[in-house]
Amino acid sequence: MNLIKFRSFIFLGLLSLSIFAKADDILIKNATVVTSSDSGVINETDILIRDGIISSIGPDISSEDALIIEANGRIITPGLLAPATNLGLIEIELEAETRDDRTKHFSAGFSISSAFNPSSTLIPYNRTAGITSAIVFPSSGKGDLFQGLGSVFKTHGRIDTQPIVTDIAMVMQMGGIQDSRASTFLELEDAVMKAKQFKRSRNLILRGGFFDTGEYTERDLEALSDLIDQKKPLIVKTNRASDMLRMIEFSKKHEINIIFHGAKEAWRIADQLAESNIPVIIDPMDNIPSSFDSIGARIDAASLLTDSGVNVLIGIADAHNSFLSRQGAGNAVANGMDRYEAIKALTINIAEAFGLADSLGSIQIGKNADLVLWDGDPLEVSTFSDVVIINGEIMSDMTRSKRLRDRYLEVIGLK
Amino acid sequence: MILKFKYSFLITGALFIFCGTLNVQSQINEKELINYAYESTYKPVDSDKTIIINANILTGRGDSVLGGAILMENNKIIAIGKDIDTSGANVIDAQGKWVTPGIIDIHSHMGVYPAPSLRSNSDGNEATSPSTPHVWAEHSVWTQDPQYTLALKGGVTSFHVLVGSANLIGGRGVTLKNVRSRTVQGMKFPNAPYSLKMACGENPKRVYGGRNTEPQTRMGNVAGYRKEWIKAKTYQKRINEYSEKSDEAKEMIDSPTRNIGMETLVGVLEGDILVHMHCYRGEEMAVMLDVAKEFDYKINTFHHAVEAYKIADILAKNSVCAAVWADWWGFKHEAFDMVWENTAIIDQAENKTGCAIVHSDSALGIQRLNQEAAKALAAGQKAGLDLDRQRAIQWITLNPAIALGIGDQVGSIEPGKMADIVIWSDDPFSVYAKAEKVFIDGHLKFDINDPNSFERTDFDLGIIDPEGDRL
Repeated sequence: MNLIKFRSFIFLGLLSLSIFAKADDILIKNATVVTSSDSGVINETDILIRDGIISSIGPDISSEDALIIEANGRIITPGLLAPATNLGLIEIELEAETRDDRTKHFSAGFSISSAFNPSSTLIPYNRTAGITSAIVFPSSGKGDLFQGLGSVFKTHGRIDTQPIVTDIAMVMQMGGIQDSRASTFLELEDAVMKAKQFKRSRNLILRGGFFDTGEYTERDLEALSDLIDQKKPLIVKTNRASDMLRMIEFSKKHEINIIFHGAKEAWRIADQLAESNIPVIIDPMDNIPSSFDSIGARIDAASLLTDSGVNVLIGIADAHNSFLSRQGAGNAVANGMDRYEAIKALTINIAEAFGLADSLGSIQIGKNADLVLWDGDPLEVSTFSDVVIINGEIMSDMTRSKRLRDRYLEVIGLK
Repeated sequence: MILKFKYSFLITGALFIFCGTLNVQSQINEKELINYAYESTYKPVDSDKTIIINANILTGRGDSVLGGAILMENNKIIAIGKDIDTSGANVIDAQGKWVTPGIIDIHSHMGVYPAPSLRSNSDGNEATSPSTPHVWAEHSVWTQDPQYTLALKGGVTSFHVLVGSANLIGGRGVTLKNVRSRTVQGMKFPNAPYSLKMACGENPKRVYGGRNTEPQTRMGNVAGYRKEWIKAKTYQKRINEYSEKSDEAKEMIDSPTRNIGMETLVGVLEGDILVHMHCYRGEEMAVMLDVAKEFDYKINTFHHAVEAYKIADILAKNSVCAAVWADWWGFKHEAFDMVWENTAIIDQAENKTGCAIVHSDSALGIQRLNQEAAKALAAGQKAGLDLDRQRAIQWITLNPAIALGIGDQVGSIEPGKMADIVIWSDDPFSVYAKAEKVFIDGHLKFDINDPNSFERTDFDLGIIDPEGDRL
């Protein structure tokens, strides 16, 4: 029995090796390359991909054995990053058993990294629409304040998908609950104090000494310690401008890196955000004053923020349609945002804010070959991807949705 | 149509009574008097003679006029074509721009689920009983919902406000014009028929099943509708028997006690009130058509209908519209089998006789129904279906107008129709297109270049800072 298992393990190993070996070099010819870097848009350019990495960019590249993709002038962008999504954690929102984005047991230290489901139907669906990496966040943890830790995954859907970064950021919610927001700030202060005590007591704890973790687990306090050590940013979900100002003060006091998410009123404090170098994750389409915390919501927020020098990241709350960040970016452009800045807000800005820019977010030599070839303007609602490449591999463009479409086009007699 | 005729009869009748020349009161159906009591008070002042020239016009009738003109006066479209006399008219040059009929959203909860979302203004679901045909959405409508203005900026000139989907039979919906008024009557689309909201599937069974009351299952849902329709038939019979009696006989007995819920259901049975049914799954919609057959009423439109593409031929054969999203899915199991081509397949079924509508059900989506239609069009074309802009614009104009029973008044650019017109900066099927000018009944209600062109809701005034407005 053991032997059989062992043998099949070897077999699987060989299989995956052969898949890996099959990842031929790819040469994309004559593309309009939207680099998301300082190089801007480069016309009539070739890209050579070797070993899953962008190895060369320029005119007239040749390769003996590379698979050739003729772009014929079509646009290539970096693969899009979904900056704040439940992708891989949710199949059906109203079916609790299909959700792994919430817990009642942990707060700050709730890591979702082990729950990611690479076989979720949401993954190929969003991948064919351009999402190649997802920064996957939890939605709620124990208590009102902390929601837990997000991790980063690629969307190739391989069964052995590992996070490319585990526990990359901590997520918290500010405001919008029945309790006073003043209490939320106090709770946050207390949590940081507790984490600082925890850090100081580490040696004591290792020697078997007693430390009262209070309402938190040691796991939560470890995560908070990382925050204090600036090993990861704190994602603050909030909309009210005055809350954001208080949080900026808090982050300076405790030397914590923060990123605002939601941030419908961020445009009102754009200068402070720019000055403090704090990125914001926004959905440019969400201009509804849905609560008294977001009265200032407006359709041109992305443009106002970018013009003030704020690093804007575009993301959509709905996991199922994470890819609609593209439509969000298109609407931002329609309302004044620079087109190239909008592409950056879907790619490099996200990579930079999360410390992933060494490998992701732009088309530059040495970076991961995560690329999308489009059949038109990538920000236009009528545009589809023609080819999606992750780690130098051409991805299947099939989705469950397309299978259903094809079946019923026949049933209804349209094919 | 029937309703319109009855109203005109009613108004004539009322005039006779007023003049005291002839007593025709006994000819006026009691039901009509009730509806008349809640009639629209919206009456736009006469609009100036205005002509839009050099426009690329998507007419809403399935065709287009490139470089054409539209003349409007006294709230109506007077002419559309190439060579229209501009004399005496305000001329708007729409060179390089696109013009469409005003956008109509067949599924909105603006006013009953306004922004900000608060417990105190959450007025869309009377979730206290699975059948509440006695409630009317218009009695919940808040006239100062800031979402109306956002929708106006997206070119929306009329919208249908429905009650929510907690109940099997939810209550009456109302069609409103996107005009500001202190009263809901001042927003009501004149002479639009009432609608009845019904709901299939997960929502009613979740709401009531969760309380361990019926319905807890889909079969419980169906049993629930049938019970109500049997009650409605009985009520209808009793009312008819009474009204058929002679005046002398009526004097001898009490008139039947009114039941306002049953009045609504009888309105459906008599074809005056249009059924709009929230329903996702294919086989469930097919069952609902059988329920309608059993009780001899018509389902006008299935809403949300994520699986409409699976039964698009059946819907087309039964002349039932489906109002759908371009790409929402997965929030519940009955919304899991979404395809981007849903709208296109509904449209093209049975030799292109299907009735497809793109709806929002969202204060975000209503602001860009043109983009939602664009996505649905692009998906259909990509799948090889024979679709174009001229056809697709109908998904958000004429088709919802017809499904709301106002297709003879709005939904296309034709002489005699209300002058509800949008001038777009660009091809309206582009993400970059913005509604630049929105006319309602010939009046410029929004001009993108003039911050004073539109009327802010009370909510928007001084809410961020006392001196400024929210938008």
